Amino acid sequence: MAGRLGGMKRGWRTAIFVATASAVVVVASAAAADVVSVIQARQTHYKEIGKAAKAMSEQLKSPTPALPVIQAAVKQIDALAPQVPSWFPPGSGPEAGVKTQAKAEIWAKPDEFKRDSAAFAEAAHKLDLIAAGGDLSAIRAQAQVMGQTCKTCHEAFRQRDD
Amino acid sequence: MTDERAPDESATDESATGRRGRGSGVKVWDAPTRWVHILIIVLIGLAWWTESHDEMDWHIRIGCALLGVVVFRLAWGVVGGVTARFTSFVRGPRTVLAYATKLVRGGASEDVFGHNPMGGWSVLALLGVMAADIGFGLFCVDVDGLESGPLADRVSFQAGRAAAHWHTVLFKALLALIALHLCAIAFYAIVRRENLIGPMLTGRKRLAATVGQPGLQSRSPIPFWATAAIAAGIALWAAYGFRI
Repeated sequence: MAGRLGGMKRGWRTAIFVATASAVVVVASAAAADVVSVIQARQTHYKEIGKAAKAMSEQLKSPTPALPVIQAAVKQIDALAPQVPSWFPPGSGPEAGVKTQAKAEIWAKPDEFKRDSAAFAEAAHKLDLIAAGGDLSAIRAQAQVMGQTCKTCHEAFRQRDD
Repeated sequence: MTDERAPDESATDESATGRRGRGSGVKVWDAPTRWVHILIIVLIGLAWWTESHDEMDWHIRIGCALLGVVVFRLAWGVVGGVTARFTSFVRGPRTVLAYATKLVRGGASEDVFGHNPMGGWSVLALLGVMAADIGFGLFCVDVDGLESGPLADRVSFQAGRAAAHWHTVLFKALLALIALHLCAIAFYAIVRRENLIGPMLTGRKRLAATVGQPGLQSRSPIPFWATAAIAAGIALWAAYGFRI
């Protein structure tokens, strides 16, 4: 009798342990999967910006620039730029254990990151407005300004490629 | 630029082998080969400096110039002076191994007319990695999508980023080869008491009498000017995105 009771207790303990452990594993891997998808989405968005910037700068360098291509590219950048801060939730930095070039400084210096990303959004919006006007030399000048905001932020907050 | 000399002058040089002070020794490197070497050193230095100082317009121009120099050297390896030709210095593994063995055992210093069997492969490796690195450079796109190589508009942003990755990787490989090259020069200077830098600057080398080489002979300037014109044309063409 006593032996059976002890066996039942042990059975319960085992069951509770297994349930807790699996819950921890499930939650942890769900969180990890979440971080992975956050980082992947962020990289996809940045590649969209890069692609649009490439399309724009190719037209600006061309002897016969296609204004509609420039305007479409700039509009896309303007739409994505204000979202930048939302792509960096806490926990999606280098500590996530996923390959990312986002530096820990993004979360260590939130005010500076906010300032740099706001400068990009502002420059992109201004470029969108100027592009609508169609003045190529003004577009070129503002594209330079926007490009500088990319570089400033990347220098401080993005790991250099190697 | 060419190594052309009046026939009487080269005759004097040959007869004076190892006996005259200035310009002693026989001619081993023609002028184009030496100038290519100097241009490569200068241009790689400039390419490195401009890239690390974010002067990408200049980096690209320098890359196109380097493309011209490498194209010239590859062509000169076919039509150039005897010691510049690939057929004269690319040797089989057995010859390379035999030379390496002799080198390790510290055998008597041996004067080689032109590249030695190991140095020949070093030349090929340096030129090959440089050519590949320049090739990737043409397609590079920076992370912001704003700076790009002259052929980057032919490929996607993703492909341009991959090209930039390989451009960086190959540059590191090139630096490693350059380091090895400098170590080899130091080895010859310190261990074997052989000066390799002097001949690469003056073109002349004092060879052991037993080798008995007459040195490079006077040649027609036509191959030089034809090759140089083609290489310069390719460099310019690259700078304009191969669009003309």
